[in-house]
Amino acid sequence: MAEVRYREALNQALREEMQADESVFIMGEDVGVFQGAFKVTAGLLEEFGEKRVRDTPISENTIVGMGVGAAMGGLRPVVEIMTINFSLLAMDQIVNSAASIRYMFNAQVKVPLVIRMPQGGGHQLGPTHSHSLEAWFLHVPGLLVAVPSTPADAKGLLKAAIRDDNPVIFIEHEALYGKKGEVPENGEPLRFGEAAVRREGDDVTIVGVSRMAATALQAAETLAAEHEVEADVIDPRTLRPLDLDTILESVRKTNRAVIVEEGWPHGGVGANFAALIQEQAFDYLDAPVARVTGADIPMPYSKPLEQAAFPHEEHVVQAALATFRDL
Amino acid sequence: MAESVGMPRLSDSMEEGTVLKWLVEEGGEVKRGEPLVEIETDKANMTYEADTDGVLVKVIAKEGDTLAVGEPIAEIGEAGEAASGDEADGEEAGADGSANGGGEASAGGGDEEEGPASQAERGDEGAATATAAADNGSGEEGGSEGSGANGGERIKASPVAKRMAAELGVELARLEGSGPGGRIVKADVESAAEDGAPKAEAGAASAEAEAAAPPKRESSGAKGEVEVQELTRLQQTVTRRMAESKATAPDFALTLDVDMTAAVELRKRFKDVADPVPSFNDMVVKAAATALREFPKVNGAYRDGRFELYEKVNVGIAVAAEGTLVVPTIFGADSRSLGDIARGARALIEKVRDNKITPPEVSGGTFTISNLGMYGIERFTAIINPPQAALLTVGALEKKPAVDDRGRVVARDQLTLTLVCDHRILYGADGAQFLARVRELLEQPLALAL
Repeated sequence: MAEVRYREALNQALREEMQADESVFIMGEDVGVFQGAFKVTAGLLEEFGEKRVRDTPISENTIVGMGVGAAMGGLRPVVEIMTINFSLLAMDQIVNSAASIRYMFNAQVKVPLVIRMPQGGGHQLGPTHSHSLEAWFLHVPGLLVAVPSTPADAKGLLKAAIRDDNPVIFIEHEALYGKKGEVPENGEPLRFGEAAVRREGDDVTIVGVSRMAATALQAAETLAAEHEVEADVIDPRTLRPLDLDTILESVRKTNRAVIVEEGWPHGGVGANFAALIQEQAFDYLDAPVARVTGADIPMPYSKPLEQAAFPHEEHVVQAALATFRDL
Repeated sequence: MAESVGMPRLSDSMEEGTVLKWLVEEGGEVKRGEPLVEIETDKANMTYEADTDGVLVKVIAKEGDTLAVGEPIAEIGEAGEAASGDEADGEEAGADGSANGGGEASAGGGDEEEGPASQAERGDEGAATATAAADNGSGEEGGSEGSGANGGERIKASPVAKRMAAELGVELARLEGSGPGGRIVKADVESAAEDGAPKAEAGAASAEAEAAAPPKRESSGAKGEVEVQELTRLQQTVTRRMAESKATAPDFALTLDVDMTAAVELRKRFKDVADPVPSFNDMVVKAAATALREFPKVNGAYRDGRFELYEKVNVGIAVAAEGTLVVPTIFGADSRSLGDIARGARALIEKVRDNKITPPEVSGGTFTISNLGMYGIERFTAIINPPQAALLTVGALEKKPAVDDRGRVVARDQLTLTLVCDHRILYGADGAQFLARVRELLEQPLALAL
């Protein structure tokens, strides 16, 4: 296997799918000449030309709307929104059109649209660029939601997203673009709805979402090295469909669950998981389902405040230990 | 205004509790989730945590006072606030004994996600996280079970612990939780099931080795200088439970002499075959245990308006220990051989003397035997070990005059047994039949050796 960066893995997925299927095309702000704000689309304009790699004006609702129309017309558009915060401008097209149209027309039309966008804090881009909003899209029936945390998952899930006939919200993470990892060269897509167990342990289940899957894994190593606590670490990889079985199986083994997400606590992914776990594994719990979340505030610009506003390894360690004893 | 704190219900069967020790002084600050008072229940000594923040405005129940569940034991209010009884409107102290809890506890749930501020409270500097698991005893108590919010204390156990306790037959009320906020967790249930004995301290004697405070000397006029000794926890427990027993159990004593001629003979023969040689006390234990199996009420208790008859015959033997009294338990004594009882009793006595006895070993007794024969005491009554139905005392084994079949006075090995009974469960005839059976077994002791 070759070791590639997360952004390169995404680039490979786009290139391979565009080579394999002429109906796949890319639209977005600065995706062509500038090669993407995070260089995910590097080289694609050169290889596939302006017809299939289209720079658009700053007009998110319109970009997504065009994508919905193109998808309804038989193409497989991959739309890039520069950050997840900007996707809020396109919520009308995402929720009222992309997610709903197949249902509204009795599946006579489908919307095989992928909307890619990065999220997450840590780069001092302030509250208009740095949020983690996967919970917003998880809320909407009709949308599939992917949150890959490794280069291999980024590639495999993006390929699967492009081939899927449903609209997919594909959430990348700004802090992960430079991360390297082994990526299989076979070009096979991954399946949505299959969680990855990153590490196995009998004492506590830690579920990390998006970048927090990596944070959870670091925390698990610390728990093992310093606290004799062995954690199962689960990366759900897709939030909808969700591989709840893998999470429940782990919780039934460990009796404890910690959900780690970068987003806000109220109405968050962790809140949703906590509800699902207590509904389906109540009699296996030894402690309330713990959540480690971003702070309940707009993302600060100040570096120390920003760092304090999203979870780090030590917070996950503390939360896991708190399921065992008073700290 | 100040709100009253009711005597909490700390176990399912608890009807009243005794205040052992206030952990916050009158006028002191009280924090929700922090220890407020030690309370002795019918089963164990437990620390009760405050379920509200404030100031301990008034202590109503003094240390040593026993009150029914729900009766006000204290008032908690704001700093500088007078106790409700002192207020001009003269509202009776504790009239609103049910008002605490619910509302306050629920506030905790909403607060915990306010970002960095709430983390700082947990000593988690600069953290971005909000964890629901780090409950500081706030959320769970919110649900008001029972009538008074203070009194309706539920047993804090995790769902999996509850499920396993039900499966394994472990009584949650007797466990001490090791989880956050004292929650009983799976590991607690598992280890209790493995031990086969309740983990909580119970019975008249605890094995807690706790040194007494050094004596103080005070002047007391005509009596001269007085050495004041503080009681150890164990002594406090003995003190209180003995007083409680004498105050609540209407007791009476039955006495009879036992001809030990055959037992003495038998013991001589044991010396050749047994090590350790069973003592006469061991024989009394075996005889009593056998009779207890036949008289279930004697192996029972009057509790909470009901008779409880116990499946197991667990005989406690009173052992004098340094400055106090410990009653280790011989579990399942009726089904153990005399030799086994002898070995078990010796091991327990040694542990008591070495101060190594553990709480499970002094718990779970269903009957108590006390022997002062070694001091030459002929006969004596003692205080029933509550809530047991009866206690058997054993006097000295001595040659005493007896009248034989032909009316002649002869010297015979005899000892005197006294059965002290709680008349609420054992009536005269019940006790007499039991005691007669014990005598029969001791006088024809071969059966004991089987």
